[in-house]
Amino acid sequence: MSAILLNGGIIHYEVIGRGRPIIFIHGWVGSWRYWIPALQNSSMSFRSYAVDLWGFGDSARDMGNYNLDKQIELIDRFVLEMGIGRVALVGHGLGALISILFTARAPQIVDRVMAISCPMEFNAVSTRLRTGDPADLSDWLLAKSSTHDPAREDAMKSDSLAIVASFSNPDLMNITNRLFGGTTPTLLVYGQNDPAITVPTLDPLTMPEYTHSIVLEGSGHFPMLDDTARFNRLLTDWTSLETGESPRDLQLKEEWRRRVR
Amino acid sequence: MAKIVIAEDEPDIRDLITFTLRFAGYEVIAGSNGEEGYELTKREKPDLVMMDVRMPKLTGYEACKRIKADPELAHIPVIFLSAKGQESEISSGLEAGAEEYLLKPFAPDQLTEQIRSVLAKYGKS
Repeated sequence: MSAILLNGGIIHYEVIGRGRPIIFIHGWVGSWRYWIPALQNSSMSFRSYAVDLWGFGDSARDMGNYNLDKQIELIDRFVLEMGIGRVALVGHGLGALISILFTARAPQIVDRVMAISCPMEFNAVSTRLRTGDPADLSDWLLAKSSTHDPAREDAMKSDSLAIVASFSNPDLMNITNRLFGGTTPTLLVYGQNDPAITVPTLDPLTMPEYTHSIVLEGSGHFPMLDDTARFNRLLTDWTSLETGESPRDLQLKEEWRRRVR
Repeated sequence: MAKIVIAEDEPDIRDLITFTLRFAGYEVIAGSNGEEGYELTKREKPDLVMMDVRMPKLTGYEACKRIKADPELAHIPVIFLSAKGQESEISSGLEAGAEEYLLKPFAPDQLTEQIRSVLAKYGKS
């Protein structure tokens, strides 16, 4: 178990592998732990970090650090403290929002973003998710399978106030302009059956050239657990893109072409 | 919690195995060659040993033979890791006393499953 001290609080993270850096940022339900299969997949080519946000997993519980701005600041400080250079961000749910908002503030640091189950605005988040009850959210969003168990176990460690506080600034959650106003290659990934996040209808013709959206059939809120093998193939293909290359080039592969929306 | 010694000279693979087994709930002690693998086994008396076949200082076979020749360690199951294309070495490994072998590259789930299965056979978990 690895940790750093930020603003007087412990921030827990795990790291494996060597190479260019990737940071995995978890969502509203669970902790770093559900990234284990993705970390195993990427560790042979990348230095892969997974961090617990304030109030989640084994990081400190501190109400003063729970709003979205403070969680974005955590990533900023983490990158700085760990001496991480240009980085790829893979965020899920809350972590996806943080990835995009952090990129809007510090585009020079971020090489690319994969934003999974990312709401485009406050109203795209189900009201049930906003209640912040970890037990209810686990039952609702996680299948009862050994693959989902790590997320379920760690979800119970979450401070429900950290979930609720992340919704305290609805304006900040409106990310369409930030997403389309930047130039960082960004891949949006959704599970077709996600009950918690409204999958946006994005017109490829009006989206910026460096932004791309893929919907995975059969997956729910946790595509990385619902179909780990397929998600890991997507992760591998995405990380294999050259710096500056548009995620739309993923369509060169038949598997991802069929899922364009 | 079962204790596992691993000996693997490729750092990326060693780290991946350590990471995978640690978060599957095992205590893992890792060495980077066959000699370290044998010394760690002698010191830690683990429930299982996992070793690469080709390693510096002492090969996996040699380390396994030493383990099996030591009455205090002979009961400890050994699993060999072998790169694809080195299948001919597998029978030599089994002759040296290994319980199982796993071909590299392996899926992390497959690794955990094999470890679990061998430990269960020896009444450990």
